[in-house]
Amino acid sequence: MVLDEIAEAVEKRIRSLEGKVDEYIITVEEVSNRMLKLANGEASVTQNWRTIEVGLYLARRDGRIFYTGLSAHDPEKAAAEAARLVEAVEPSPLYAPLPRADGESYSNVDPKIKAYLEGDIQLDLAGDLELDLVGTAAGMAELGYVRRLFLNSHGDRLTGERTWFKGYMRVFRGDRTGQWSWTGVNYDNGERARKAIQVARGLAEECEKLPLEKIEPGEYRVLLSPMIAGNLVNEVLFAASAARLIFAMTWIKPEMLGQRVVSDKLTIIDAPRRKDLPEYTLHDAEGVKTRDKPVIAEGVLQTLLHNTKTAKLMGTETTGNAGLIMPEPFNIIVEPGDLGEEEQLEALGEGIYVTNNWYTRYQNYVEGTFSTVSRDAVILVKNGKPSACLNRIRITGKIQELFANVEAVGKTRWPMEWWEVPKPTLTPHILISKTKISLPTI
Amino acid sequence: MAAVHAPLGVDDLEKLVEKALSLGASYAEARYHSLGGHQVGIMNGRVFAAGTTMLSGVAVRVIVDGGLGFASTNRLTRDSLERVVAEAVSAARLSASTVKKSPVKMDDSPQGTARYSVYEKEPLSSIELADKIALIQERVKSADLSYEGIEVKGLTVFYEELTEEKVLVTSDGGMVEARIPRVSIFYNITAKNGSETRNRFYHIAWSGGLEGLDREDLREALEDDVRSLGIALVKARKGPKGEVDVVLSPELAGIAVHESIGHPSEADRILGREAAQAGLSYWREYKVGDRLGSEASTVIDDPTIPGTFGFYLYDDEAVPARPRYLLLEGRIWEMLQNRETAAVYGVRSNGAARARDYKSEPIVRMANTYFAPGDYTFEELVEDVKEGVYIKKFMEWNIDDYRWGARYVGLEAYEIRNGRLGDPLKDVVLEITSPRFYSSVDAAARDLKLYPGFCGKGEPMQGVPVTMGGPHIRLRGVVVR
Repeated sequence: MVLDEIAEAVEKRIRSLEGKVDEYIITVEEVSNRMLKLANGEASVTQNWRTIEVGLYLARRDGRIFYTGLSAHDPEKAAAEAARLVEAVEPSPLYAPLPRADGESYSNVDPKIKAYLEGDIQLDLAGDLELDLVGTAAGMAELGYVRRLFLNSHGDRLTGERTWFKGYMRVFRGDRTGQWSWTGVNYDNGERARKAIQVARGLAEECEKLPLEKIEPGEYRVLLSPMIAGNLVNEVLFAASAARLIFAMTWIKPEMLGQRVVSDKLTIIDAPRRKDLPEYTLHDAEGVKTRDKPVIAEGVLQTLLHNTKTAKLMGTETTGNAGLIMPEPFNIIVEPGDLGEEEQLEALGEGIYVTNNWYTRYQNYVEGTFSTVSRDAVILVKNGKPSACLNRIRITGKIQELFANVEAVGKTRWPMEWWEVPKPTLTPHILISKTKISLPTI
Repeated sequence: MAAVHAPLGVDDLEKLVEKALSLGASYAEARYHSLGGHQVGIMNGRVFAAGTTMLSGVAVRVIVDGGLGFASTNRLTRDSLERVVAEAVSAARLSASTVKKSPVKMDDSPQGTARYSVYEKEPLSSIELADKIALIQERVKSADLSYEGIEVKGLTVFYEELTEEKVLVTSDGGMVEARIPRVSIFYNITAKNGSETRNRFYHIAWSGGLEGLDREDLREALEDDVRSLGIALVKARKGPKGEVDVVLSPELAGIAVHESIGHPSEADRILGREAAQAGLSYWREYKVGDRLGSEASTVIDDPTIPGTFGFYLYDDEAVPARPRYLLLEGRIWEMLQNRETAAVYGVRSNGAARARDYKSEPIVRMANTYFAPGDYTFEELVEDVKEGVYIKKFMEWNIDDYRWGARYVGLEAYEIRNGRLGDPLKDVVLEITSPRFYSSVDAAARDLKLYPGFCGKGEPMQGVPVTMGGPHIRLRGVVVR
């Protein structure tokens, strides 16, 4: 067992440096993944990775802490060097005693993906995407498997393994495009991927049929697709990380707990125990038991995301959201509303259907002032029907004010994950009023 | 010259290349690549964490039947290395099964055989981590962070040193060993006046040793940024809206050329290879020699500038690096090319292939991109403006995925009236298309400053070290809000 051998060797080296380290966490992950990347309807490259990743947390009871991330061939040597360097740092204001690992081991694996990545079976990844039917498209599809071992200085030991199949596709019809993504834990012979590609294709073809129009900057009603809703709810849950608060990089403040921060139509859940999403885990990076929880319930901020360090600093309990360094969400879920997809354009009435975005940037993290740029299909809707396609527009304002103006949340949810949706996110469309739109000067 | 301390040498990598060729590859390259060093985080004057990063392993890239395959591992046993070659070939065959129109091939660029190392006057290994922390702390603690009317609510400083070592062998005769140490200091400072706040992120970085700490003044940068925050929070007022002349600082010129010339000049983006990720390029609508901007607009990307964060002498396809004139006196002049894109265009690579680490394929990237200096002084740029705005520092920026429409929001900006700088202005927004931007430049100053950054592109995302900069430049008749 490669993981055990490495973990034990690293642990032995750390223990041999008696007196230098009082507490430690060792995680060893064996990762294998393969990605088919497409451009102009063909594979531009297929990439394969097979790595061992070692994470170390070393601490002394006087509060000195040291992290090490190793994706290297000689982790034992690096571990010894890290243990030596603990002495170089001063006691940290973030130190908290190492918790017992009360989480559970887990397995959330599709044997088909695991066997494919081991070379034991073949999958027709390119064929299952039905690329021949798509026409010009770009994107990627990735299959992955990770197995992890967790050890700590309390003698706790946990294991975990999980698989994923995720990707996204941008379909071209002339210079009009549509893009959609998918994510999940199992290989369903490409079914989710084909469904996502079909949506992307539909958006490109819808825009191709429509005239190109220009709009004036101003306030509009907008319908956010699950792509852009996914991006923005990720922003909200990362803003709820207590580390962001400590580093003055969030608009969320402790006094907002229990207060309404966005529309009461919005409930956003951090869901590490959701089995159909790839970031499923029963323990966090500190070994602490994870739990599904609403971070925002009907618009009210319920909790920040904590590890034991941020929790101690802020006088509360960990929420089981430790990454090796900072607390973060796992899987993100937006609770569905009652707006059916077939009636959402009618509900929008007069407004803009924004189907994708990128480059979300903050002018001011503390005030939540940001902008994000649309890409792919942007559809002007009049009388509840698509009337024109727009060029790229920019949504600006404060993220909390944007989400304060939610009018309706969709019924149908989509599992999204891509460049701009870093955590697996299950979200429907979201209808928002009074959204500020700006445009560049030509 | 410091040697590359790699567990695999040229001979070992040659064997991997030979193995790939024997398995049916028409082209193969093998790269040992490591990135290692320390990080320290300092929050409000106290070290909150320190750490070490070490990424090292082998990447193999091959072409089989016109399909491109890449595989990497950090297990360096004989079995793992044989497996990584076989997996690269298998990956290439999967690619080839979908390729009907555009089989991948490499151009015939000359291949370098070289060994180079960035000189460290004061090597990163010459002092202990504790002493480095003390050096940073000394600079942070000596900074005067006061400004009347504001309260500094938080200061987080990150120090990172990473030494990159590479050994590259290609089946076309390329053989490069390189060692580049780099140092970065980032900070985020937040200040408040009543209910109003502002953040400032700033990055100081270089390639070389600890001598850069004396050249790049962290204390001065912190004090200057606190002044900027104070001006924005206490003195600035809403400024003019509409069409005015705008003078941009080297910081603004830098982000603009990176986003709206550097990225669109990437040949892989123009060809659509990054269409679903970093996007396309408005350069698709132009050909070399077409006019995009005014004669005052020249933009260069040059990896060979010593001491810069984006420095290298050979790219990750063993092609010698050289300056690239992306925009010459307003005309589209040269795209950034790697060997794959150069073969498509029937030209030679200009050495723009870069891979972040052993897990990354080499793709077309910028290095040090800057607006070429002109003949003016800053004062001369300003004195010829009747009504305008000077934007000195920015907060928010972004650009669409066609690199057409960009937005920059000023942190520190001033009114210009009758040739003189006037009152500070609050949150000036310049939202403009790329052709309009470069057509509007009528003059550039003689000064030049480069700013470091990490540039993201690829799938998986690769952040590579770059710089971006320029002189002060003047734009005539552009809309601000």
